[in-house]
Amino acid sequence: METAEASSNLKKIQVQRFKPESDPDETYLTEETGIWSWLTTVDHKKIGIMYLASITFFFFIGGLMALLLRTELWTPAKTFIEANTYNQLFTLHGSIMIFLFLVPSVPAALGNFILPMQLGAKDVAFPRLNLLSYYLYLAGAGIAVFAILNGGIDTGWTFYTPYSTSTGGAVTTMTFGVFVIGFSSILTGVNFITTIHKMRAPGLTWDKLPLFCWGLYATSIIQILATPVLAITLALVAMERILGIGIFDPALGGDPVLYQHFFWFYSHPAVYIMIVPGFGVVSEVITTFSRKHIFGYWAIALSSLAIAFIGFLVWGHHMFVSGQAALASMVFSFLTFLVGIPTGIKMFNWTATLYKGSIDLKSPLLYIFGFFFLFLVGGLTGIVLASIALDVHLHDTYYVVAHFHFVMVGGMVMAFLAGLHYWWPKITGKMYNEILAKIACAIIFIGFNVTFLPQFVMGSQGMPRRYFNYIEQFQPFHQVSTIGSYILGFGFVMVFYYLVKSIFRGEKAPANPWGSRSLEWQVASPPPLHNFHHTPVIVNGPYDYHKPMDEFQLGLAESGNGHGHESDAELHTDGKSIEAE
Amino acid sequence: MANHSSSTSHSRFLQHHFVDAEQQFDAAKMGMWIFLVTEILFFGGLFAAYIVYRMLYPELFSMAAEELNVLWGTVNTVVLIGSSLTVAMAIKSAQKNQVKNIAINLGITLLLACIFMVIKYFEWEHKFHLGIFPGEAYSFEGIDHPKASIFFSLYYLMTGLHGIHVLIGMGLMIWLLKRSLQGDFNSEYYTPVEITGLYWHLVDIIWIFLYPLFYLIH
Amino acid sequence: MSEHHISTDKTLLGVGGALLVLTILTAVVHYAHLPQPWSIIAAMFIAVLKASLVAMFFMNLFWDKRFNAMLLVSSVVFFLLLIGFTLLDTLFRLPPTPAF
Repeated sequence: METAEASSNLKKIQVQRFKPESDPDETYLTEETGIWSWLTTVDHKKIGIMYLASITFFFFIGGLMALLLRTELWTPAKTFIEANTYNQLFTLHGSIMIFLFLVPSVPAALGNFILPMQLGAKDVAFPRLNLLSYYLYLAGAGIAVFAILNGGIDTGWTFYTPYSTSTGGAVTTMTFGVFVIGFSSILTGVNFITTIHKMRAPGLTWDKLPLFCWGLYATSIIQILATPVLAITLALVAMERILGIGIFDPALGGDPVLYQHFFWFYSHPAVYIMIVPGFGVVSEVITTFSRKHIFGYWAIALSSLAIAFIGFLVWGHHMFVSGQAALASMVFSFLTFLVGIPTGIKMFNWTATLYKGSIDLKSPLLYIFGFFFLFLVGGLTGIVLASIALDVHLHDTYYVVAHFHFVMVGGMVMAFLAGLHYWWPKITGKMYNEILAKIACAIIFIGFNVTFLPQFVMGSQGMPRRYFNYIEQFQPFHQVSTIGSYILGFGFVMVFYYLVKSIFRGEKAPANPWGSRSLEWQVASPPPLHNFHHTPVIVNGPYDYHKPMDEFQLGLAESGNGHGHESDAELHTDGKSIEAE
Repeated sequence: MANHSSSTSHSRFLQHHFVDAEQQFDAAKMGMWIFLVTEILFFGGLFAAYIVYRMLYPELFSMAAEELNVLWGTVNTVVLIGSSLTVAMAIKSAQKNQVKNIAINLGITLLLACIFMVIKYFEWEHKFHLGIFPGEAYSFEGIDHPKASIFFSLYYLMTGLHGIHVLIGMGLMIWLLKRSLQGDFNSEYYTPVEITGLYWHLVDIIWIFLYPLFYLIH
Repeated sequence: MSEHHISTDKTLLGVGGALLVLTILTAVVHYAHLPQPWSIIAAMFIAVLKASLVAMFFMNLFWDKRFNAMLLVSSVVFFLLLIGFTLLDTLFRLPPTPAF
């Protein structure tokens, strides 16, 4: 914020308390109804829900493929599917989970819903662009499905050249699909950065920005800087296939390692696109359920930005055995270790937040505790993989597979589920079954470890990833892992069951079931069409649990801004004046 | 942060979720700048490939650049710079409420963009005639280098992607021209002119780099 | 809309003229056949100068909010990171070991 603006804002403004309605008559779900109102909506909440439905669909498709893969690996040779089908399945599992689930999961689904509310805004800065981004996502997904049905792809989600430029199948179509999805991701990033800069409510200065917003801010920066490079890289692969331009094809004088540079310039930061918003969710949930100010606000906020930045300096650690120059490998290895610093800062600060907090072990917090254990293992094994000498041995083994599943599923999916459980009452206005939620969390935690811990052992003993056949000594590990995957799958189905059930049979949720101080909880559940009938005014930070709740429900006294309902005015009487910044 | 207590200027183009036109204008402009960042990195991938191959095969680049016509490259540079100037003039006219001049300047911009594309077309056409095609279709005998097609692949990709951006820009100019003739723009509201202008200037900047990188090698 | 900077005709035409002169200059330098690497350095220097003129005066960054200028600079920085680290590999690769 510019200082000139701040000084002009130094004036007395009249504020009053706006208590959230406990039983709203009109919500964003009831004011505009019908299928057409959903398909053409520019409301960030409805777009968020459409994203949520889509990513859930693709999550279960991708998960189903994972179960098929694990089942096939029950025996060392062919169990029930062909080797070529197996190759296509792991490619699709990776592509679907990354491009259609993980990248849009927290930013586009939860972020879309929560971010403008946390900022006290009526919508994101560019609502129509937001809708366009959703349709581009759908279009990209549609093109990807078309590619699967018309030849399929067996390159792995990384599309490494020269294999991807010489293999048959629908690689060109698939790259176009990913290109379109990438554009959707860019539009979300543009929208969020502008929204955070320009749409904050009066008094919401940078040091009062909720950490979820900081996480999304860092994520959006990565999205806009990295995604275009992926787009041009995939366009070059398509050109290579269509015209034979010879940029990446060694047979035509090109350099296949150059492809890997370009690809990982996006795809390594993309790992942080997936995990950094999860960090934001963790910060929100931890403070709410320990009733305590976050420990080290700036440390957590800035470490998100630091991770975003360092994430751009480490991509070469995917290429230690690709024939990259030894000098580059050394530099990349060293820089990769640096990622551990901001991540460690976050872990310590979260733990310190819990210390002496009044901890309420509700299911969102339980998922976060799962996140802590699994993400810690995932992060530390990442350090192992970053050291060149060890990586030469472990590269392309199940150790790597286990490492990134610990980070992505153990870290990100757990954080996503925590966020989903945390904001579910706000999104739907219904409470889910708490006991079932806790049981499901335990099942997922156990199933996850049974699936992936054996893969660390296999990997360190030399079991290569993506192989259809394996030698018999690995069979017990593979079988334990397969059983674990069934447990894990059951856990996810259970979550789906009780959440969907709560929509129809759940108890009505109060406006603020967790007693959070954050702005999105200071309106009715589910929220009104334009989020706030008043213009919110912020005087405290989002984690000031030592201050009374009524200081968090302030708004401009004579506001409404064209959207206020006259009936609201009667509810609020205790006007008072404050010195606003 | 916007000053939420003032809500004076309510243009008919003000969207519901903004407090005032100023906030809407600032947001649109910042959004465009963020989009331009993605454009720069989008082209950045191609520029990176160019730099890598130029360092790998410097002699190829100086040999192959002989086939490009410096005169027409320079003329095109001047044409694009002129169009950037007229876009800037269009924005200035809007700010000064000279409604007629907006349309005139946009019209000149559109004309210059057409000239650019026509020259580009004849350049490509001439090369196709010689058998200089991108990729495997390359059949020109005049350059004694085994990797000659890589230079022209890069040339066609980079000027082609730039050309696509010019075409998109022309589409936007037509849209702006139509709206300005309807009298939509004045000193109170000219956001589309401003942000399209930013886009157009970026397309110009990219050409400013493409010109010495392809035409001025020896 | 009080803060918006309005460029004068003089500034705009002056910048346009400068760009024209620089374009001719870079073509002249090309025909002067400077020895490598000076010709590429001169060409790139002039290109950067022209791009800065366009960014500062046509795109108004000279008067605009600093954040927008920062966006432009950061995009260039990240492009330099991309090319810098890629060259760290491609320029320092050992020739392939002959078969043994």
